Amino acid sequence: MLTSAAQLAGYGADGLGYKNHLPDAVVIPADAEELAGFMRGAKALGVPVVMRGAGTSLSGGPVAVQGGVVVHTSALKKIREINTEGFWCEVECGVGLNDLDAALKPHGVFYPPDPSSGPVCTLGGNVASNAGGAHCFRYGVTSNYVLGVEAIMLDGSVHRFGGPAGGRGPWREDWKRFMIGSEGTLAAFTRFWLRLLPLPEKVWTFRATYPDMKTTEAAIHALVAHSSYPAAIEMLDPRGVAMVESSQMACGLPEGSFMLLVEIDGPEALVNARVQSVAELLRHAGSNDVMFSDEDALRQKLWKARKASGGLLGQLSPSYVVQDAVIPKRALAEVLQLVYDEADAANIRAVNIFHAGDGNLHPNFLFDSRVPGELEKVELISKRLMQRVIEVGGTLSGEHGIGNDKSAYMPLVFGPDSMRLQLSVPAAFNPAHQMNPLKVFDNRHFIA
Amino acid sequence: MNVFPPMQSERLFVPFMDEVDGTLCLPANATASDIHSQARTHRLRFPLLLDAAKTLREQIVATTHAPASCRFGPYCDNILGMNWRLPSGRIARIGERVVKTTTGYDWLRFLLHSGSRYGEPVDYVLRLRPDCGFTAIARFHGDTKALHSCVSKLLHSGWMHWWDAVDYITEGKASFIRVMIHCVPEEASIFAQQLEHVAAATSTQLTLQNNAPPPLDGLPDLVIKTTPDRVIGLSAELAHAARRSVALCYSGVVHVYMNDSDDLTERTQALVQPHTAELHTLGGDWHSRWLPATPPTITESAWLNTLEEAIHEH
Repeated sequence: MLTSAAQLAGYGADGLGYKNHLPDAVVIPADAEELAGFMRGAKALGVPVVMRGAGTSLSGGPVAVQGGVVVHTSALKKIREINTEGFWCEVECGVGLNDLDAALKPHGVFYPPDPSSGPVCTLGGNVASNAGGAHCFRYGVTSNYVLGVEAIMLDGSVHRFGGPAGGRGPWREDWKRFMIGSEGTLAAFTRFWLRLLPLPEKVWTFRATYPDMKTTEAAIHALVAHSSYPAAIEMLDPRGVAMVESSQMACGLPEGSFMLLVEIDGPEALVNARVQSVAELLRHAGSNDVMFSDEDALRQKLWKARKASGGLLGQLSPSYVVQDAVIPKRALAEVLQLVYDEADAANIRAVNIFHAGDGNLHPNFLFDSRVPGELEKVELISKRLMQRVIEVGGTLSGEHGIGNDKSAYMPLVFGPDSMRLQLSVPAAFNPAHQMNPLKVFDNRHFIA
Repeated sequence: MNVFPPMQSERLFVPFMDEVDGTLCLPANATASDIHSQARTHRLRFPLLLDAAKTLREQIVATTHAPASCRFGPYCDNILGMNWRLPSGRIARIGERVVKTTTGYDWLRFLLHSGSRYGEPVDYVLRLRPDCGFTAIARFHGDTKALHSCVSKLLHSGWMHWWDAVDYITEGKASFIRVMIHCVPEEASIFAQQLEHVAAATSTQLTLQNNAPPPLDGLPDLVIKTTPDRVIGLSAELAHAARRSVALCYSGVVHVYMNDSDDLTERTQALVQPHTAELHTLGGDWHSRWLPATPPTITESAWLNTLEEAIHEH
């Protein structure tokens, strides 16, 4: 158990950074049994419990907003089984995503979700927030790959929902569906059974730049309908391009351009036959700057701008907020324009780096939380953005979760009946809201 | 801080066709031909169909997977949203019209296969896929050992992502493998070459039917979910007491088609009974229109009571 101020300082915030809430203590259970004992004790003592993996989430999820105890699951990091014949693996919640990838690779299989925090994030955090990543367009998100969840309730009872077969198990209902993406508000997760796929044999990466949003949008629309089923369709807007080109990570992108990064993969014979048609599609949509390669070193160069951009945001600004809305792709240009107009009017820098194939926007608003009024400006822009996102048929979050960052927007999404259904889920598993209070829905207040 | 006041009414889906996103909202009682006629205009398709005449709702109540789940996942990964009629008669919106969402608790996947226990679907929002213009059905014949080896070869390579379906079918004592491919016509020869390679490597006999319609097996009488490595053995065993069984090899699902008789409940129960303990251990399950739903445990009943209060509230 950690209790000193210096020890607790690292647990005050997640990747969102600027909202800090120090817990009263941090516990690091050695195993699931110890965690079950802790849960019983926490319930008896009436202290809020906040589960935390690596703390890389971007929605203010694993943070003790109401104080209490943060449970750090870093000791539960065994890969218990890799079953290639059955295409599944069993892992503990503290296993790092890239560590799992490395362990799976020699077996010729992989676990597709790939959030950019892969080098540090844990599977517990991934399941809790239903994480996605750059290759979701074809492969899907975490919920598409979770076969089973072992969960510990506040009373210390341990339940297994599903398992290697991915069904209901002995239950009448498929309870794991509520567990995935529940952001630590229902139970503590200790183990998962995950579905695996054979590794693709061959990957081609394409980079194309476009002079305007209209041609970029045309390229995106053509790509999502293309028979090559791209694995990734990523976009960097001109403000993102300018950020990269004015840094040490510059890679020669034309000024003012929109950059698309596309990846196709599969069996060698099949993918090689598709290369020219994808390149032609990108050119036909209006790019005269299309580069592509199947060589690892060159592919990494093509990814360079996209990968560098995330890190540069942190260097450019003391604070930033990244939104995670998903919209129907016909509204891409319109909603991006709204982001620019609102941010420019408020004198806030906005950079868009996102999963264009999924319509999953990530507008990054750069600001200084120490300057009075700046955060309020960003919150106002976010509010108008979310309102428009819902009007065009989109949703608040595609892969980051709601946390306490977007909970205030939930009334935009759910009407009276669907809201009642939503709130009944924590009422069933965690009625006092002792698990991760004030997250997902901001009326989830724990009263000891 | 509440930024927005509570909504006074539900934001229901209005039937639509979005050819850019490849999404289609239509009534839950639509049939395969209704879906096909709306999708094909935009060179799109909904690959998870099992029966030409039954409604989509009937198909989803009958099973969680279709043969094309091999490539595209179960129904719950291909149905994005629903208008859902609650027992009170009021209609609630469940899910979204976009593919990615982590906004709130996942009622969509919870309700989708719940039958009529908590109400019923009014409309579905489907995720469609590009219609590439060419479909072919390959059949592999051979002895049991060769067929097992053939399935393994089909699944354990990068090609696995590109087969629409890999099914192990048993009728009486005879078994064969059915593979469905769907691609642009220019790629047909590449797929054919790979299928021939698999047949040669596994000593199986391949027949390939080009421009074939997707297989429509009909609604199964019994569905069992297990792991992919156990599914063929289980399917072959169940087929001895049935008319036909179809193992969806990557999904780990067996669709069992029974012979018509008056005692289907008893016969279905007898088929499931020897496997219940193993299925519970594996986190698998079974489902049949001839069997009652598994009764809830005491723990589960407490959770269900809370949910049902919300579902039944006027």
